[in-house]
Amino acid sequence: MSDDFMEVTYDKFTFRVRKDYWYHPEECWAKESGGLVIVGVSDFLQKVVGDVAFLELPEAGAELAPGGEAGTMETIKTTVALISPVGGTIQEVNGELDENPQLVNTDPYGAGWIFKVAPGNWEADQKGLMDAPAYFPKMEEKIKAEMAKK
Amino acid sequence: MAKKIVLLPCSGIGKAYGEIGRQAIYEVIGDHRPAEITTTCLAKLMIDDPEAKQLIHENIVITVDGCARDCARKNVETAGKKVDKALRVIEIFKDHRDLKPEGVLELGEPGFKLVHILAEKLGREIDCLERKEQ
Amino acid sequence: MLEEFKQVKVGIIPCNGEEICEGTLTRFACRKVLDSLRPNDTVTICLPLFIAGDKGERNFAKAFPTITVDGCEKRCSQKCTERLSGRPKHAIVISELLKEHGLEPPQSRQTLEEKDKAAVDLVAEEIARKVDEILEKG
Repeated sequence: MSDDFMEVTYDKFTFRVRKDYWYHPEECWAKESGGLVIVGVSDFLQKVVGDVAFLELPEAGAELAPGGEAGTMETIKTTVALISPVGGTIQEVNGELDENPQLVNTDPYGAGWIFKVAPGNWEADQKGLMDAPAYFPKMEEKIKAEMAKK
Repeated sequence: MAKKIVLLPCSGIGKAYGEIGRQAIYEVIGDHRPAEITTTCLAKLMIDDPEAKQLIHENIVITVDGCARDCARKNVETAGKKVDKALRVIEIFKDHRDLKPEGVLELGEPGFKLVHILAEKLGREIDCLERKEQ
Repeated sequence: MLEEFKQVKVGIIPCNGEEICEGTLTRFACRKVLDSLRPNDTVTICLPLFIAGDKGERNFAKAFPTITVDGCEKRCSQKCTERLSGRPKHAIVISELLKEHGLEPPQSRQTLEEKDKAAVDLVAEEIARKVDEILEKG
């Protein structure tokens, strides 16, 4: 277990949860930074869906509702909706993902961030999210469910 | 003596990309000039098989990796050879997102359409590299 | 903690050899074990990823028992596994196994035909038997 992450290994896969982020049940994370909220997807989600080939994202200036759909993420296996954990206005979208969408797989909590939001009410939205210790056992339940599908 | 073209897929067994790369290489070898285009087992490079090492060092090498992990390219470079061209199956899929393979090994019709498209791209890359050699 | 899901599993490491038809056979046999014969007891280790240094593959192969499945007597998967993580519990060589049972190898690297099904089943069942021996089942 590192200082920055909670980790658990099942078979050959190690699932990581960044300790200082907040988590939505639909597997996206939020991190407040300099008045904006940075959003990405969880390590669990990127492992389940596979190598990201495309992301369809809203543009800067778009308004989002908390829990609303912010775009889609497509792999060779599936297409999933990207949920915004926070309401507000999109300030910036990660341009690196155009050429290299697999950053979402290789570094979901860092370089694979997806968009930044100027939040309408971060304090209120945060109450609907889980901190890492609360999210971690929920993630383990989902891992169990995925493994039971075999 | 003209150099051969050595095509090396990652053949990853965890994802459909590995099978797509492998099948595309077999298609190119079968359809094109089998005497001049060949493949070898990637793992032979790791066990220092002298024939496999000689093949890659003396000829033109194109790797076909499934994804950005680039296992085939890395394995070849670990064996001391810089690849002449590195392709990724995921890049082909990006241009044909409606073609989703049906399984990891049983690709189905859409998977084999991706195979054909990749084989055509490989053919073009081979022609380009051969022109450079002349 | 979900201890019941942290059971011992066996890592199956096929050679995936591109050069010969038996390499193709390793892939189909191993996937059959993973997908239908022993889905809850096995994990497949991707040999090129393993060789390239992936931590997940290497750590699993160090911590858990493995079975290598090679197409030919060069035993690339066995040798790579021994070099990178440790001796596998079992090492299967398909060319030898087919010869023992009087079965012909496939004739194509690209596709397996209906007549090759017996060879796939033979290899898959042998792998499954070795998995059971390791896990002391039945």
